[in-house]
Amino acid sequence: MSNRREREKRKEERLRVESRAESADRRTKLLQLAAGAAFLAIVVVVVLIVVSASSGGDGGDTNLEGTAEVNSLLSGIPQREMLLGDPKAPVELVEFGDLQCPVCAGYAEEVLPPLIEAQVKRGEVKIDFRNFTIIGPQSTPAGAAALAAGAQGRGWNYLELFYRNQGGENSGYADDAFLEAVAKGAGVKDLAKWNQDRAKFEAKVEETTAEAVELDFNGTPSFAIKGPSTSGLKTLGTPESTGALEEAISEAS
Amino acid sequence: MSYPSEANLQRAIAFFAALGIGVATYIAIAEAGGGAPTCLAGGTGCETVAKSSYSHLAGVNIAVFGIVGYVLLLTTAFFANDAARFGGFAVALGGFGCSIFLTYVEIFKIEAICQWCVASAVLMTILFLLNATRLIGYAGAEDAGAGHRELRPKESG
Repeated sequence: MSNRREREKRKEERLRVESRAESADRRTKLLQLAAGAAFLAIVVVVVLIVVSASSGGDGGDTNLEGTAEVNSLLSGIPQREMLLGDPKAPVELVEFGDLQCPVCAGYAEEVLPPLIEAQVKRGEVKIDFRNFTIIGPQSTPAGAAALAAGAQGRGWNYLELFYRNQGGENSGYADDAFLEAVAKGAGVKDLAKWNQDRAKFEAKVEETTAEAVELDFNGTPSFAIKGPSTSGLKTLGTPESTGALEEAISEAS
Repeated sequence: MSYPSEANLQRAIAFFAALGIGVATYIAIAEAGGGAPTCLAGGTGCETVAKSSYSHLAGVNIAVFGIVGYVLLLTTAFFANDAARFGGFAVALGGFGCSIFLTYVEIFKIEAICQWCVASAVLMTILFLLNATRLIGYAGAEDAGAGHRELRPKESG
């Protein structure tokens, strides 16, 4: 009897030792696996950051400036196609511009922001951007790209970001890579749809260019206004300052 | 070195994972239909981040991936075995890595901070630390067959 108990005791002891050894072995393997996973995770994060940093801007292929500034300027303002502001705003300011035009870029950065931050944000004025392509062959695809962004509610982000990263007139910078980088920076969510829409909107660019010619405009940016005190669309030409535009808005109200 | 009891670690993981589900769900719901979460103190960072191209991956809102991650972490908190310990660590590691990258993107690419995204990143960092402690402290430990380390609601009576 005593021998049998001792044999059972030894067996239990052996099983305990084996179980502990198994646990220790399992622990070592798990910790090695965890260390490997942690190393892999560090490598992946570093590679992602390096790739992202070298692509510049907001995920595009070109360095983009002013993304935060544009987002802050347009934050909280409704956008539908290329119309910025409350659709029910009583006064509509229409801008005919060319994305390659440096004067338009100056207006986008200096003349229009005070209006956008005040009257447009308050719902008193809405601004409609229409293409009037006069600079060169890349103006039409650039304008169509903005309209395609507008179809996803990011038209004004596209315009403003394009202007803030504009290159020299007809220097060839506004290629497909640049247009796509601006789309990404502007927050266009469905890039495949944006790409498909671009070609479709070229006809619309030509249509509004013809409209600008009909209105006797001969440079960009040119403005027109419509409000309770105007009979239809009243042309303004190129008002030289924010003050001049404010005066026109006041007269049209 | 002494570690907190595994049951306490599991409770903490469950608590922070539940908070994470709440935060990620709020972000996902707020962004559905083109909206954005509301930033405290009237900031515009949340809207800027929500409307950036980084807010979606393959057409899916990033917050949805967050919800999935937090749900997996919550699930691992209810089991006391090596699969749950390692699974929790792996998911939290992935989430922590994503949080680092997304925080980098917010600061240096979008140049805007979304408070809700920061809250999620902090929760994921805490969950990573808890799961790493759990794995290091209890990897290879016997499965809690008797349930003494299982996270269970207290029985009444």
